[in-house]
Amino acid sequence: MSYRFDWSVLWSGPSGSWLLQGLVTTLQISGAGLALAIVLGIASGALRTATASPLRWLASAYVEFFRNVPLLVWMFFWYFGVPPLLPQTIQDWLLDRGVESWAGIFALGVYHGARFSEVMRAGIQSIPKTQLEAALSTGLSRVQAYRWIILPIALRLIVPPATNETVNLLKNSSVALTIGVAELTFQTRQIETYTAKAFEALIAGTLIYLLLCLVVSLFFGYIERRVAIPGLFVQRRLEEA
Amino acid sequence: MKRRRIVILAALMACLPALVCAQSTLEKIDKSGVLIIGTRTGSPPFAYVNKNNEWVGFSIDLVEQAVSPVLNKKLNKQIKIEKKESTPATRIPLLTSNAVDLIAETMTDTQSRREQVDFSLTFFVTGAQFLVRKGSPIKGVQSIAGRRIAAQQGSTNAKIIRERVPTAKLVEFPDQPAAFQALAQKQVEAYTNDGIQLAGLRAKAPKPDDWAVVGEFYSYDPYGMAMRKNDSDFRHVVNVGLMDAISTGLYFKLYDKWFGSKGEVPYPLIPEGKRFLELQVVPK
Repeated sequence: MSYRFDWSVLWSGPSGSWLLQGLVTTLQISGAGLALAIVLGIASGALRTATASPLRWLASAYVEFFRNVPLLVWMFFWYFGVPPLLPQTIQDWLLDRGVESWAGIFALGVYHGARFSEVMRAGIQSIPKTQLEAALSTGLSRVQAYRWIILPIALRLIVPPATNETVNLLKNSSVALTIGVAELTFQTRQIETYTAKAFEALIAGTLIYLLLCLVVSLFFGYIERRVAIPGLFVQRRLEEA
Repeated sequence: MKRRRIVILAALMACLPALVCAQSTLEKIDKSGVLIIGTRTGSPPFAYVNKNNEWVGFSIDLVEQAVSPVLNKKLNKQIKIEKKESTPATRIPLLTSNAVDLIAETMTDTQSRREQVDFSLTFFVTGAQFLVRKGSPIKGVQSIAGRRIAAQQGSTNAKIIRERVPTAKLVEFPDQPAAFQALAQKQVEAYTNDGIQLAGLRAKAPKPDDWAVVGEFYSYDPYGMAMRKNDSDFRHVVNVGLMDAISTGLYFKLYDKWFGSKGEVPYPLIPEGKRFLELQVVPK
């Protein structure tokens, strides 16, 4: 098969700027989705360990409802299902400001918030009960104990699975192309359709995703080392005390 | 023992040329006994799934009733036809990866596409228009500046709008049903596609009178069947099939079935169109 490689389609001509535009859009929706997921995840994960059962039930309902349905279905729900239920003024406002991107951000954020919540819960529950008892016995309220003692340790514990979830969110942002968001995967398909240079487009897309995810994991690795509490956990190298 | 080994080795070596040489499509169909076509599932009346859950359409009928007899005669056996779904974004990769042998749907024959695939004769002529809600202010390509327009990813229509009206806000969906849903929910103001496909979509909508197909053709879209490049034997078979159908009147019978007054989508054949089709039939 005689295939002529033409890498210039990635940076010149009409298709030149598409890859960059797609990358920017991917970063935008992933960033906003991640912010939403972290807020929902921490809140819901903490609530799942609450003593008051209505709060626990609420958080559990959120988690089970949102993580047990495929993300693709959620994309359609947030784009086709939610806007018609909103008041007309909000609908018009959204239509002018990229309703597709907002639907994508909410779908990603809420879905990954549910998954993140479980990671958070695992972190909180792996802290010995004695820590909470000690905190309460010094006079802190339950909320204060969570805020000052439990959550700081839990957040340090969950850095590896949190990295996993972040990288997953970045990759799942590609599902947004089904509701018309012009993100990176969409743009690689566009380049492929308009220039017939399938290999160049797909290789470029693959390398960019790989690079993004590597940067994220390296960044989280740096964070992990930076905020580690010396002597509290088993580190990579077991050092003499 | 030694003789058996020589026989096996000889048999393997005899197979080698078959593995190394690229197969032509006719050889592939002959060997497998199946012609695999790529076609749409949501583009009435060319190729769609009807309410009895049957995968039917004008393009499918052309393959089954016009191309198939010529293919059977050429290969001297009954060839089965298998249908696979294709969309604007996937049809050329499906063809070049040998997953399908023929794309028989609503593919526009263009010069740039001819650099990647070969086309049969033109079997339908239409142009791009807009599907809007009745009473919409959009009257054609001149009135879409700054408005939200839905299109299909990978279609020629999206490309033309991008070039002709850069201020139009294009929202590209992977397939027709998603785009129509967005139009129905007023998330876009118009949906652009080939006029005949819009007419088909409108005819199949729950309330056809709510919709209107507007605008002059802003592009010329001749439909052809696509196949892999450098495969002139297979292309000849497909073309002879289409030519025979036009000269014997089978084409017009099928046209009437789908586009006639009692058809799925009434769309009368203009005299120039009929003449164009007839002139494509070269003498035997």
